[in-house]
Parts: sequence; C-alpha cells; structure tokens
Amino acid sequence: MRRTGLWYVRGTRMWGDRLGGDAMALNGAMEGKEYPALSFVVDEERVHRFAAAVGDDGTFVPPTFVTAPEFAAGLTQVVADVELGLDLARVVHGEQGYDWSRPVRVGETLTVRSTIESIRAKGGMELLTLRTEMRGADDELVVVGRSTLIVRSRV
Amino acid sequence: MTLHVTDVRVGHEIPALAKVVTREDVRAYADASGDQNPLHQDDEVARSAGFPGIVAHGMFTMAHLASCLVRWLGDPADLKRLRAQFRAPVFMGETIVAGGVVRSIDRARRRAVLDVWVTVEREGVTEHAVKRGEAEVELA
Repeated sequence: MRRTGLWYVRGTRMWGDRLGGDAMALNGAMEGKEYPALSFVVDEERVHRFAAAVGDDGTFVPPTFVTAPEFAAGLTQVVADVELGLDLARVVHGEQGYDWSRPVRVGETLTVRSTIESIRAKGGMELLTLRTEMRGADDELVVVGRSTLIVRSRV
Repeated sequence: MTLHVTDVRVGHEIPALAKVVTREDVRAYADASGDQNPLHQDDEVARSAGFPGIVAHGMFTMAHLASCLVRWLGDPADLKRLRAQFRAPVFMGETIVAGGVVRSIDRARRRAVLDVWVTVEREGVTEHAVKRGEAEVELA
C-alpha cells in the first residue's frame, strides 16, 4: 500500500538519537510554490461518515471535516511533487491549525488551493508548512488550514 | 444557541470530554478523511515504526478536541480558530480526554481565547496527545 498519510510525532526525547549531520532532503527553493487549485464537493454521505467517526451527532458539519479537502488537495500534491523531494516515510504531522471564516455547508463545492508557506531547518529536522485556502462560490473565503510537517533526517 | 460573553470568565474550565479510541472509529476516520496511511491501519507497519500497534491519526485527536469545544459552545459556527501541536501517540483502547481553559476575553470583539489540550493516561502518567493547543471562539 502506498503511504499517503501523515506519520505521528513521537516524543522529542525519542528523536534525539536519530539526529545527525545528514544532508537535508527538501528543496528549499520550493518555498512559496503554489499548487493548482482543485475542486472538492462536500458530499453529505461523507460528512455523515466523518461525523460518526469522530463522535459527533451528525446534525452539523464537524469543523475539522475540512481536513478531507485539505488532504485531497495540498497534502496529496506535496507528496506527489518530485521537485520538492518529500520522503513520506520520514514525515510526521507536527502541528495543525484552522481559521474558519464560516462553517462548511453540505453540498457546496470548495475551491482548494495550497501553497508551501515555509521550509525551515530546526534542530536537525526540517519543518514544512503548507497553507491551504478553501473558498466557496463567489470566491468567498471559508477556511485557511496550516499543516506543519516535520521531516526527520535520514537515519 | 451561542454562549454569551457574560457566561464566560478568564480561568473558566470547559467540561472535559472523554472517549475510548477504537480500531473501528480510526478505520472509519481514515476512510472519511482520506488519510489512508497504514500506520493508522496496519499493526505490522506500526510495529516496524517502533509502536506497539496502530496509532490514531493526529487529526482524529484534534477532531475530538473540536467536538469538546462545540459541545461547550453549542454552535459549531462559533469555533473560529483551532491550533494544535501533536505530541504523544494514541493507541487503540486508550481513553483520550479533551479539555480547555479560558485564557482571555475580548469583550469589544466578543471573542475568547482558550488554552486547549488532549491528554491520555498511560501507566499512571498523563501524556499530552495535543499540547499547547489554542482556540478562539465567538460569543454573543
């Protein structure tokens, strides 16, 4: 099976012995890169499955349902970007943020656009922050997501 | 139903929300979110990465934190911002507990900022699955 997910952060102590002077893998010139916008239809059945999985009662769209379009667009695009050189086997999900302008509505089509906001080195690791903007009809801003991926050095 | 600005005080702790993490829920989350990483589905893969078994998605835990906030708020539209750092992994059968405390209130803008977290008890130690989380909510 292809690894198309985010590896979990482990305790910082556990990272200690894995750090070394290995060459960084990400292409820093990709900072600022914008990926093509994609459309994502907020399907009612999928919203219900999401709500059931996270324990909500299904009477509203769970705020973090926006992870699904974010994943379908930006996160899938960065993984497939050979210019960027992201090795998913060494990636963990370090941090996530959402800023909602309004809730997502069932049945609407979101336009999802991702940008590599920053690529930074920190303590032998690299941090890639992906900014994903989701807009509704008439280009109205719905939510901005920020995913920070931590890339470990090669062991 | 929206919380009123006079209902909220700095230092107010929101009701904690506990949940047992099951394999079925994590599988359902993988399908619904689109994150099909085998680390969250295949014990063999998880063990080869040094874990005792599959781990829940960080976003699964963050979704639980959002549920906790929405139950307190009464209206999902009032959650305006949520940020989380993922720290400790969460394993199947463990109980995650989401919580938060009001850090500041802006009465003019009718907004409050909360420190939020998700903990898991493991061998008598409280681990933070989500640490240094922050939420901003809208009040009436």
